[in-house]
Amino acid sequence: MKQQTLFAFSILFGVLVAADPGWGRPVSYTGGWTSMLRNNGDRNFFHVHYSPTARYSLGYKFEYWRQREYAINALQMNNLLRRWNAPDSQANLYLKSGIGSAYSNRGHFNDKFAPAIFTGLSADWEDRRFFFSYKNRYTEAGAVADFYAQSVRAGLAPYIGGYGDLHTWVMLELDHEPESEEQISVTPLLRFFKGINMAEIGFSNHGDVLFNWITVY
Amino acid sequence: MKHFTLSIVFLMLLSMPVHAAANKVYVDINGLVCDFCARALEKVFSRQAAVSGIGVDLDTKVITIGLKAGMTLENSIISELVNDAGYSIVNIRHE
Repeated sequence: MKQQTLFAFSILFGVLVAADPGWGRPVSYTGGWTSMLRNNGDRNFFHVHYSPTARYSLGYKFEYWRQREYAINALQMNNLLRRWNAPDSQANLYLKSGIGSAYSNRGHFNDKFAPAIFTGLSADWEDRRFFFSYKNRYTEAGAVADFYAQSVRAGLAPYIGGYGDLHTWVMLELDHEPESEEQISVTPLLRFFKGINMAEIGFSNHGDVLFNWITVY
Repeated sequence: MKHFTLSIVFLMLLSMPVHAAANKVYVDINGLVCDFCARALEKVFSRQAAVSGIGVDLDTKVITIGLKAGMTLENSIISELVNDAGYSIVNIRHE
């Protein structure tokens, strides 16, 4: 039954698609809700969070790691450590941490649960033409999971839109996961946003289709 | 008698409530580079009873706050709301 549940989740998220490990706004405005659906060739994520202040958010995250066949349910807290608001740019530094449980029925795990924690830093800088970001994460879930991952992204806006327009960005993401079979993944993608919705679509060098959807309420 | 009547009328006119026209507040902001993120400004300001609407200009980095007739919004509240949206204030100008 649990295998079927996990499979159903993976299909659901596969249909919804989504991409990349966490490029949405980790902390929203005071009183704001954000939902994110993500999928890449290795995992599916769903994350919803609420920001009591503009300095931190609290939320729930579900992750399903398809190749490793385990799922993580966690409460996640994101902290805006520092923001630099300049006349023509903005930069951010975040700390993102979670605590929950990991489950796997792969091989010898045989329906094993283990406590799970993860933490990592995320930094970004952007102006109206260019975007750069970096993030990392360390996950520890007993015998079920223990890994480190990091990503960098660079983006360019081919045109500068006004407020309310459809905005488009061309981006390139590089993922590094030392413990994975495919340690390096390269993903060119397009980012679109209009109003309170953002979508991203891309294709990795491993042939995986990526599609993100983020909405801020 | 005529002067007395005119005086009474004049005093009555002075005592009548004046309905102020709706006014605007212009706020210069730092960090205003992303439309998607700037939606937060609409969200936080729309909660204020005095606000009739808000305009965002990513080119000039200015937000225009429309106030309902007869209502005001203190600079301290404007600063707090801009900070709640994740931005920094450079200057506030009342029309």
